[in-house]
Amino acid sequence: MATTATISIASDIMAGFSGISNSMTLTEAGGTTDLQETTGYSRKKLSSASKVDLFVMANTSVASVDTETGAKVFIKNISDSKDKGVKVFINAVEIGLLYGNDWMLVPVSTVNAEDIEVQPETDDATVLEYVMFYQ
Amino acid sequence: MATTTAAVTLTSDLLSGSLSVTGTSTLMKAGTTADGLDQMRMGINEVPTGTSFDLLDATRAGIDKANKVYIANLSTDTSYYVIIIIDDKTVGRLYGGDWMFIPWNMDDATHDLEVTSYVGTNKIQWVKFHEGETLGTSAD
Repeated sequence: MATTATISIASDIMAGFSGISNSMTLTEAGGTTDLQETTGYSRKKLSSASKVDLFVMANTSVASVDTETGAKVFIKNISDSKDKGVKVFINAVEIGLLYGNDWMLVPVSTVNAEDIEVQPETDDATVLEYVMFYQ
Repeated sequence: MATTTAAVTLTSDLLSGSLSVTGTSTLMKAGTTADGLDQMRMGINEVPTGTSFDLLDATRAGIDKANKVYIANLSTDTSYYVIIIIDDKTVGRLYGGDWMFIPWNMDDATHDLEVTSYVGTNKIQWVKFHEGETLGTSAD
């Protein structure tokens, strides 16, 4: 049972940049065994500028700081608005802003309390889709 | 306007029904619907073990911007990995063959994106799409 992710980036910023195309199979740490656990694909509507938990690591197979883990998180802001973003945090440290139709795919540690949090910039309704694959 | 798009396809048969998600983002400057990101930097680095290195330095010009970063671990040995760190916070482990794509709000000038290499020397490819940066004044 495999989970795969493919990225394709195209840009005309720099002449001669031929783009990026890359695929990976999501595997357990340091090996070739497919990741076997998932939170399932979810959807959340955010309607205030309050910070909320998207992934609570205590609800998954929590790892210790030194544990190797191949967990990956995918988050997609399915709102159309490009002028308002949602901040994404790992345990209060901001990673970045996801504007409308932006997405991210990032490895995470699953260490207890290293939760993935989100906070819209405004009270306007914003909808996120998200999933975590872990071991 | 410069145009940069990042598309993803995520598929999984872990669940009883297949999961297939796609997404395409046009990378715009922060807070605008009409102006695309117009700057980029890219590189490939070999990262030896033993020390944490700044892969990308945060600058105040990057605060609350719509910067995006792609990083791929080109190591062919899947036991090799780098730990990705932002402002002393461990994000996760990027193993040989893995890639990641994230928004990066530099937040403050200490919000560097760092990598620490494990098992052996990892080869890292990275691209940063950004806006608003100017060259620093030469000190000599």
